[in-house]
Amino acid sequence: MSVTIHLPTALRKYCDGHADVPVSAPTVGEALRELSRTQPSLYVNLCDETGKVRRHLNVFVNSDHMRDRKGLDTPLSDGDVVTILAAVSGG
Amino acid sequence: MGQKVILTIGTKKGLFVAQSSKSRGKFDLRGPFGRGIPVYASLVDTRGKRPTIYAGSCNPFFGMKVLKSNDLGKTFEETRSAPMFSKEDGRALVNIWSLETDGAEDLLAGVEPASLFRSRDRGDSWEMVPGISNHEHSRKWQPGAGGLCLHTILRDGGRTHIGISTGGHYLSEDGGKTFTASNKGIGVGFAPDAYPEFGQCVHKIAGHPKAPGRFYIQNHGGFPDRPGIGVLRTDDHGHTWRSIADGLPSDFGFPIVVHPHDPDTVYVVPLEPMTRTCPGGKPAVWRSENGGKSWKKLTKGFPKEETFFTVLRDGMDIDDLKSPALYFGTTTGQLWMGKDGGEKWKCLFEALPPINNVKVTVV
Repeated sequence: MSVTIHLPTALRKYCDGHADVPVSAPTVGEALRELSRTQPSLYVNLCDETGKVRRHLNVFVNSDHMRDRKGLDTPLSDGDVVTILAAVSGG
Repeated sequence: MGQKVILTIGTKKGLFVAQSSKSRGKFDLRGPFGRGIPVYASLVDTRGKRPTIYAGSCNPFFGMKVLKSNDLGKTFEETRSAPMFSKEDGRALVNIWSLETDGAEDLLAGVEPASLFRSRDRGDSWEMVPGISNHEHSRKWQPGAGGLCLHTILRDGGRTHIGISTGGHYLSEDGGKTFTASNKGIGVGFAPDAYPEFGQCVHKIAGHPKAPGRFYIQNHGGFPDRPGIGVLRTDDHGHTWRSIADGLPSDFGFPIVVHPHDPDTVYVVPLEPMTRTCPGGKPAVWRSENGGKSWKKLTKGFPKEETFFTVLRDGMDIDDLKSPALYFGTTTGQLWMGKDGGEKWKCLFEALPPINNVKVTVV
């Protein structure tokens, strides 16, 4: 499936300034694994060493948070947009 | 002797760099670098032609970064990578708690969860030091309130001393290949066995190159039923430890610092164990000039009362000028300087973000 990973501004410096990165993957988890191969500097910002998505990041498939679907197993379709956003937190 | 005094100040909101002439009359502040991201460790590496400043930037969103500056903290960039565990290891990096130089070129990073990493290329790549990181005790260490951190890395000739909270003091006598828990005399107040083999909540360890084998520990004291476990000394490379807390108002505290020209002179900031602020709200640094036999309270320049700050484990340092000044940062954002070895205190900056880490270097 050809999908687009859409990145927050803070992460674009890890992929030559691009806001969108195309990947081909059947699930969210596979899309992230592809990034680990093609964009390793970007990937370490998204997932820790164990492969877990970092705690304060949110991953959406189109408008749905992946946790409301099947998490990393959420299936992807051609044209889907996977949006990475930092959570609102801090003080 | 150099001409500039450089303070690196790791805060909840990033790294600040303060610079002064060696008169230390006025410090100019730069930063924050790594804006908005907590910094718990910093280092000025003076081994090369130009000093290099390093800092750990603990990004809660995107993971750990190592910041590096080749222009004395005017600009910073990220190194190519931060320490990372292997996927097979199963642990994930949370924070960098200490950065130290090693040998001619290497950097060492003590991290959370408690492990040690080495870089041979100025922070661009890192490899785990297995002797301590994969120690047979490592999966039994427990986090203290600050996290399971490897916060102290000290060399002692061919020996390496490591401080872990909570893990205790570990000693290598074979060049860092293997480590042994070396906690005889270091107590705990939070377990039935007052003197376990390991698991102590060591807060900080300090030594002096002119006194090999002698080290001072600020341990987690403050337990009425177990007095004398908080401030300790060893004279045999850490094989045995003994209390030097007599005369202090509390044996709880975080930092411990040794005078650069006198290994008998040591500084602590005793804190009341429940509030973790100076007893009675009256700030004081305490100094011993005889290796811990007796202590003197240093208060000149501090508020006399109604002051409730905490100084964390890496929040105090001392420069190495002829008449050294101490520096400490507080969790309420003040940066204090104590000239003449702590005799006269002055607040350099009154309202920084909460301060985790203060290091001073003369370049």
